[in-house]
Amino acid sequence: MDKYTYELYSQLLKTSWKVFLIILGIALAVILFPYAKDILIMFIIAWLLSVLLSPLVDYLESKRLRRGWAILIVMIIILALVAFSFSLIIPGIIRTVEALTTKLQSDVINELSVKIEAFFEKNFNNAELARNVTAKLNEIGVSLLNSLGEFFKNVGSFLASMVIVPVITFFLIKDSRRFKRAIISQVPNKYFELSLNILHKVENQVGKYIQGQTIDALIVGILSTIGLFLINVAFEWPIQYFFFIGMLAGLANLIPYVGPVVGAIPALTIAILNNPPNLGIVLIWIVVMFILVQAIDNALVSPLVVSKSVNMHPLTVIVVVIIGGKIAGAIGMLFAVPLTGIIKVTLQQVTWGLKKYSLHSISRLKEETILKPKGGEAA
Amino acid sequence: MENPIWGNSIFRKKKKEDDILTLLKQVPIFSDLNPRELSEVEKIVHRRTYKKKEPIIKMGDPGLGMYIIVKGSVEISTEEGKDEKNVLAQLTEGSFFGDLALLDESPRSASATALEDCSVIGFFRPDFLDLLNRKPKLGIKVLFALAKTIGERLRRTDELLMQTQEKKSKIHHG
Repeated sequence: MDKYTYELYSQLLKTSWKVFLIILGIALAVILFPYAKDILIMFIIAWLLSVLLSPLVDYLESKRLRRGWAILIVMIIILALVAFSFSLIIPGIIRTVEALTTKLQSDVINELSVKIEAFFEKNFNNAELARNVTAKLNEIGVSLLNSLGEFFKNVGSFLASMVIVPVITFFLIKDSRRFKRAIISQVPNKYFELSLNILHKVENQVGKYIQGQTIDALIVGILSTIGLFLINVAFEWPIQYFFFIGMLAGLANLIPYVGPVVGAIPALTIAILNNPPNLGIVLIWIVVMFILVQAIDNALVSPLVVSKSVNMHPLTVIVVVIIGGKIAGAIGMLFAVPLTGIIKVTLQQVTWGLKKYSLHSISRLKEETILKPKGGEAA
Repeated sequence: MENPIWGNSIFRKKKKEDDILTLLKQVPIFSDLNPRELSEVEKIVHRRTYKKKEPIIKMGDPGLGMYIIVKGSVEISTEEGKDEKNVLAQLTEGSFFGDLALLDESPRSASATALEDCSVIGFFRPDFLDLLNRKPKLGIKVLFALAKTIGERLRRTDELLMQTQEKKSKIHHG
């Protein structure tokens, strides 16, 4: 075997080995995913938090505070705020959901059932069909609220397991540069500058996107809370826990197109179940208020704070939200769009890098060394 | 060869870091920094090794930052045609190149290729911007030194241009 064939053979072997390792890696990831799902979700949340909090830490560091102390201060403030809000909101929410479940099983649904039965009897002359429809509706309503109650109870245990997230977040912020250097040091010279450039660009855009979305959600949450508070003042408090519902609307706003509708549902449901004397007008005001908040968000807030690089088609949003829900439930639905945004930005940057960097001319060197071995043995 | 059990890897690492700091101190843009500031810079630089004839940067690629040669030598050249190149300089240990890329992403004006197996330190724009954001005082020191280096280079270019123009006018008149 001459040197040329030998080099070619060893190159082929190396490539096959790499392909084998990649396939093995993918297979392992698929097999281990169900077991590693929870840890993966924790890491994703911690990473998103680290991206969100890094600018604050950087700011404190620029004021001559040591990075470790800066992270601790920021995290203690954030954790205190979160713990305070949750201690105020969660027990009340669980109580409300349980009370609503009981209420649904009794008077409100019965009243509605009578009305629906009367409607079907009058229009279709079929009382049995009407009874079937109302029974089904009752069943759906109760199971929906039961699952809602379960969700909030799960949030409690979820939060308990979330003790670990701040720890991961701390180290992700503190040692992010070290991690990046360690990863980039493994990249071959040929792709080094390209990878470093893409990594920084993706990091920059993703950071801006996540920070923008959070500010946007916060503003929508505050505006919705103020709106619900004003409705409460005007119509003798038909919506309890308006602060929680307002903030939930802000959180739901993270999911484009779907979020604003989802955000309005809890307020409408609670108002219906409370059945105030002027229910129709209250419902109209709730809808008008949410439309107004969306108009302010779309016209003033969003264009200023949310990066346009992650714009997605409505169909894409719906598909990824469904997939996210299938994989990781409510949390999956919430993070599906930001994660898809991150993938989109990464792909955009990789395409940009591959167009801009002359990788072909580097690989030409390899060809030269393989095709022209010393002493002209190949010839 | 050092005994792996009794050899003190901690001090050896310290020695290596000291070497890097000394080398960084020789680079004009870091020459005004104190040891503590230099070790901050040391935390964000990337160390790379290149084999003989391996390209370090390619002409036309987006500029990302500068390289300082720790060991070996590097050839700076421009590509004239498909297979033609014009060698501009050969740099050795302690020399640096690509510093203009610390300011913007303009395409590289020349290629750099390792003439022998060599080791370099890379200092890149995104890390520099991050340093400016986190440690403004240190960042401004580096930025000011970079401006001085570029200013010095511009002055030299002006002088050369004037000399060339003088020669040209002498030829025209004489």
